Amino acid sequence: MSKGERQKSAREKIKEQQAAERVREQRKRLVTYLTAGAVAVAAVGAGWMWAASRSQSEQAGGDLAPITVHPDNAVVMAKSGVTKPVIDIYEDFQCPACRQLESVSGQTFKNLAAEGKAKVVYHPITIFSQEPTRSNSLRAGAAARCVADGKQWMAYHDLLFENQPSETAEGFKIDQLLAWGKEAGVTSPDFQSCVTGQKHAKDQIAYTGQVQKSAKIQGTPTVKLNGVEMDNRVIFTPQELRDQVTKAAK
Amino acid sequence: MIASPASHKARSAIPWVTTAARLVLGGVLIVAGGLKIGNPSDSVLAVKAYQLLPDSIATTVGYLLPILEIVVGVLLVAGLLTRVAAAVAALLMLAFVFGIAWAWAKGLRIDCGCFGGGGELKDWQEPSYLLDIVRDFGLVLLGAWVVRFPPGRFALDSALGLTGPDRTRDDEEETGDEQG
Repeated sequence: MSKGERQKSAREKIKEQQAAERVREQRKRLVTYLTAGAVAVAAVGAGWMWAASRSQSEQAGGDLAPITVHPDNAVVMAKSGVTKPVIDIYEDFQCPACRQLESVSGQTFKNLAAEGKAKVVYHPITIFSQEPTRSNSLRAGAAARCVADGKQWMAYHDLLFENQPSETAEGFKIDQLLAWGKEAGVTSPDFQSCVTGQKHAKDQIAYTGQVQKSAKIQGTPTVKLNGVEMDNRVIFTPQELRDQVTKAAK
Repeated sequence: MIASPASHKARSAIPWVTTAARLVLGGVLIVAGGLKIGNPSDSVLAVKAYQLLPDSIATTVGYLLPILEIVVGVLLVAGLLTRVAAAVAALLMLAFVFGIAWAWAKGLRIDCGCFGGGGELKDWQEPSYLLDIVRDFGLVLLGAWVVRFPPGRFALDSALGLTGPDRTRDDEEETGDEQG
């Protein structure tokens, strides 16, 4: 082998080594890249699951706690003998955030009352001052006050939120309010005339005024635990809501 | 390569610009996600307020968005997977621009929910669509810059050797070979 040839083969060897090194590096880079990517995706997935599980709504347990409807006042849901802690819920049938609260945490309130862990008081009020939301809210609020039976009231209350109209159109019309009454199983013979005549409209207005004076709420929904306003973050996170109420019960 | 000193200076500034863009874009994302992540229901509500997505998808997006913003933001600040993270961030911002423009065009009165909140406006509040769009579009541009010139200074990508072989050095080596 001539000197030139030896030099050439040495150079080729180095080239081969460099090529192999490059492949190794490339593979290492790929592994690092994929690992980092997998960790990032896993973090996103874990955060997503966590968010979803914290805000997972509770399932309906057994029967509701007994409910007492005061047509000119609030609605109380509590097992007999349970007087504290008190959860006050100030809500408006027309308010979208209230609808969201009911769909997320409504079942938690019901369960807590049914388990005897809290006395839950619903305060249906009319927070809106502009049309068409004010009239919508008033009609619905007055109609709900026509339902005297506790279980039927709760079914009606849930239906009103489920069927909440848009904030920019007339809704909660009288014939709809009557139809939902039937769907909720309202049996009282006075229901139809009560809703049609909007018998409790002035009660709804008067009670709203009373609440705004005494409870000093900033808006709806407002939830108070033993008179202290609960954080929005808590009431919209069923697991946290339950934890706080259970802690207050001790 | 012949380069005037001025253009050389400009070229050496590029990685620093990238770093600045990464920090701004990543910082905004981390703050935006951090303010939202403690309150998933509000986040869902804010997405629904746009009336753009069907309810079930809006719920998923509402849960996903805060953590996605945080993770992408952290990647950008750290300079890890810089190019992909910047692309995702830019697409996110583009989607936000579209969403806000949609709300504006539809005449909705909402808060963009960009930094938490349920998308609701109080009676006395005015929507700030134009400002939101300008801000988010600026962030799209920052993202595009980072995609074009990754990963900038102080990037984990460089430390981990994820940036690939340095193109210019390779070229030099090959020229060197030919000369030798």
